[in-house]
Amino acid sequence: MGLPAMFDWNSVIREVVIGATKSDGGTRAVSYRIGGGTTLPFLEKTPKPPLIAFELCDSPQYWSPIITNYCGDVVNSPAEWAKTAGSAYGADIIRLYLTSTRQRNYSDFEAVKRTVELVLDATGLPLIIEGSNEPKIDSEVFLKCGEAGQGERLLLGTAEASRYRSIAAAALAYNHSLIAQSPIDINLAKQLNILLKEIGVPQDHIVIDPYTGTLGYGFEYSYSAMERIRFSALKGDTDLAMPMICSAVDSLSVKEVRDAEPGTRDTMAVAWEFYTGIAAAAAGAEIICVRHPDSIGKLKEAFRSLAHSKVPTGGD
Amino acid sequence: MIDVNTAVSSGQTILKQRMNSLTSSFAYEETAYHLPVSYALTGIAVHNPAAAALAYTKMQDNPIIAHECLLAQKTELDGRPPAPYTGFIPDTVLRKLGYSLVDGSIIGLALLIGKPEQGSAAAGICRELQEKYMLTFLAGDVVSALANEGVKVGLDYRLIPLGPTNFHGVHFIDIVARVAMMFGGVVPGDAGRLLSYAVERAKAIVLVFPGLSDEELALVDAMRVLGFPIVSLGQYESDQWIKATPDDAVARGMEAKGIRVTVTAIPIPMGCSPAFEGKSIRKEEMYVEFGGGRSPAFELLTMKDAAEVKDGEVTVIGPEIDAMKEGSANPLAILIHVAGRAMKKDYEPVLERRIHNFVNYGEGSWHVAQRDLIWVRISKEVVAKGVKIQHIGKLLANKFRMDFPQLLDAVSVTFITDQEKVLAAKITAEKVYDERDARIKGMLDTDVDTYYSCTLCQTFAPNHVCVITPERPALCGAISWLDGRIAYEISPAGANQPIRKGAVINQVTGEYEGVNQFVKKASHGEVDRCSLYSVMEYPMTCCGCFECIALMLPEVNGIMVVNREFKGVTPSGMTFSTLAGTIGGGAQTPGFTGISKNFIISNRFLQGDGGIERLVWMPQQLKDELKNRFTEKLEKQGLGGFFDKIADETKAVTIEDLAIYLEKAGHPALTMKPLV
Repeated sequence: MGLPAMFDWNSVIREVVIGATKSDGGTRAVSYRIGGGTTLPFLEKTPKPPLIAFELCDSPQYWSPIITNYCGDVVNSPAEWAKTAGSAYGADIIRLYLTSTRQRNYSDFEAVKRTVELVLDATGLPLIIEGSNEPKIDSEVFLKCGEAGQGERLLLGTAEASRYRSIAAAALAYNHSLIAQSPIDINLAKQLNILLKEIGVPQDHIVIDPYTGTLGYGFEYSYSAMERIRFSALKGDTDLAMPMICSAVDSLSVKEVRDAEPGTRDTMAVAWEFYTGIAAAAAGAEIICVRHPDSIGKLKEAFRSLAHSKVPTGGD
Repeated sequence: MIDVNTAVSSGQTILKQRMNSLTSSFAYEETAYHLPVSYALTGIAVHNPAAAALAYTKMQDNPIIAHECLLAQKTELDGRPPAPYTGFIPDTVLRKLGYSLVDGSIIGLALLIGKPEQGSAAAGICRELQEKYMLTFLAGDVVSALANEGVKVGLDYRLIPLGPTNFHGVHFIDIVARVAMMFGGVVPGDAGRLLSYAVERAKAIVLVFPGLSDEELALVDAMRVLGFPIVSLGQYESDQWIKATPDDAVARGMEAKGIRVTVTAIPIPMGCSPAFEGKSIRKEEMYVEFGGGRSPAFELLTMKDAAEVKDGEVTVIGPEIDAMKEGSANPLAILIHVAGRAMKKDYEPVLERRIHNFVNYGEGSWHVAQRDLIWVRISKEVVAKGVKIQHIGKLLANKFRMDFPQLLDAVSVTFITDQEKVLAAKITAEKVYDERDARIKGMLDTDVDTYYSCTLCQTFAPNHVCVITPERPALCGAISWLDGRIAYEISPAGANQPIRKGAVINQVTGEYEGVNQFVKKASHGEVDRCSLYSVMEYPMTCCGCFECIALMLPEVNGIMVVNREFKGVTPSGMTFSTLAGTIGGGAQTPGFTGISKNFIISNRFLQGDGGIERLVWMPQQLKDELKNRFTEKLEKQGLGGFFDKIADETKAVTIEDLAIYLEKAGHPALTMKPLV
């Protein structure tokens, strides 16, 4: 028995497809259809637990040493790392950060294309690609990402109100979806979605990133924004009826993790990612991103038990 | 002189005959869109004469379809035109072009067709199109004319030679048709959708040189249906075409199609970013200064006709910075002229206020105050790097264009540094200031039927909705009704939305049906009613940015106001910050409301609570700040002397003291209708 129907939701979260298998013209071993929710997370008749994306990068100097130490040599090859993430860590999705483009005056755009192609070859999992950090090279970088992943239904990140055109163009030209990020603000999230609609991005190609603060470091703001986004969507606001993705990237640099004893640092990092991830899932995220391999199994186990738990009906 | 209409009808006859001459089948490789224009318009995949005839008839003998079919057959028979010509452009290349269009790295498309009388004029036009980030396609003799001028063509130069004949100009339209299908969601066969995409979304213009045959004129004239302005540079006579000279052809075409150049980087020898906004330049760091009471200085932004404003032009009248003595104060006039189809005279003061922000964006330029009170400094550091007064002008011209792309088509800046000329220009400026004051001052809530919302603060106050009217600025004091209106025009999906005030529910408390409906929706169902002129009944919600708090003091039957700067305890027994914590966060708290300082002297303040005579207490500093304007207003209302009856912390700290003071002063609130 579920909870009594005390919400008068009248709308559904739009579904977004990530990854294309052979039958859809891609080469992924699996593809996902995220979204489709009709009520709050874990209250569905058959709850769909969030997917877990493992974040990695192509230039590990920009990555937390906790992770690079833990993962070992594999971090020097994004393709190998992606492969390991699927086979050994158990990730559902790979999120590739093109950190190599953060070098000053970066201009080797062919390398961007090569990296994306190598990672696509190495893993059968659907891919999220995070392009450049620098508006000046957005146009080149996203063009290459879009091209390299043509047919694969990538999820491209990250569009913001001040810079979304290149990502939108790549999504439109090569039929990918994109992540639309706004700074913990329901109205700005809606505004960006409207801007994307105006430029022509179909609404079932958009995933909302509400911006995720780390637990204890502002997550409550993210939670509140997500809750409100989901409420509005379920009450019929179609400009907000998109799945959400959360990545609490600061989890690895909070004081408690940074200053932890070397022997407990991994445990602490995983704890921070895990609890933030659980909270984000409770707020409605369809994709949870993590950087520590050990966070994946723990989150999956937790989602399984949440999905199968008996919900108290109250009163008895 | 060629009459276009006559030529077009003769051209159509010829095209119809030539359509009968199609013999063999034909197809372009490297495209999934067959003959793209025919396919997009009719849904027919044309590959042979029969299908061609079908599509042609279906589109009422459209010359574009005829050209497309005829050129496809010709290409099938003769092969692609030789390099540098591209001929039909494959889908993969087009996808990249479309990417650049959506991405904004190119802002529009142009077709140059025909035989220019002078190669140099054509070269000039191409250079201008390149500078304006347009992607230009070339068809006919214009290509060889450009080659003779040494102009390089190719995708890298954003100049694409389609083919050696005017005939090849039809590829321009197959490109637009494919972009519409790839990026615009246009379904093949949906002619209506394609046309509306072309008209509304495709930023394309056509520039026609002399030498077109009747058939070719029929082709070009048919492009008008797609909403492309046709700019004539030849002896063509048509009331539907725009006549132009090589000097203004590009500008007129872009203007007609509403294509605007966006600026990305400002070419000045110092940094320019909001990051520098908060800096100050101290006396010992400054190279020169202007105004601040040390020399005459003012700023004025006015709108002009488009023809009178040369975009990006910066003029300095009088000595430049290198002719000024280090450490000196100099006269300065900042005169900005703007033009734009959406620009309105009412926006002038709102835009003028931005001079302050923009000058402060400069790494080494600093600005305070407004109008003829301005004070500007330029630092030694950036003067050593080569910054001159003209660079501040460039900064201003560019920033205005960058921040108001929908509003402004052209911005020019003039600086005057010559004492006498500054003083002369200042007289004119002061007249403009007076006119503006009269306009804003005279503007009443009853003059307009639309107010503006502000939900900027919903970030932290989730259900807060500010309603901004001509007589009630936003509670933060930073956004007036005009600002709200301009913000909405600039960003229609933004935080400032129009509110139709609708039917009056209560004239005195300022409650309107439309406002209530809006507030209910924007507060996510939390707030049902909102009265604009009352503290007691359904007051506006409060975020946390209010300049002042107005609250009831039932003990003395009055209302007090405390401003953010006042640190002491008020007669309510609470400090500003305690009060702010109690009423903020987006809640509606009857008896308490957040307001701007200027609202205190508005005739609408306390209208719903019995009138301004309810006001019993304000901190002295706030009283001083408002004194002149407030007493003037009170005089007009026949309330001279009332101002001195309002207590402050020097008269009364506690509620008991206040009651005694008010009694002694004979304050009218004491005898008014009970507040609660």
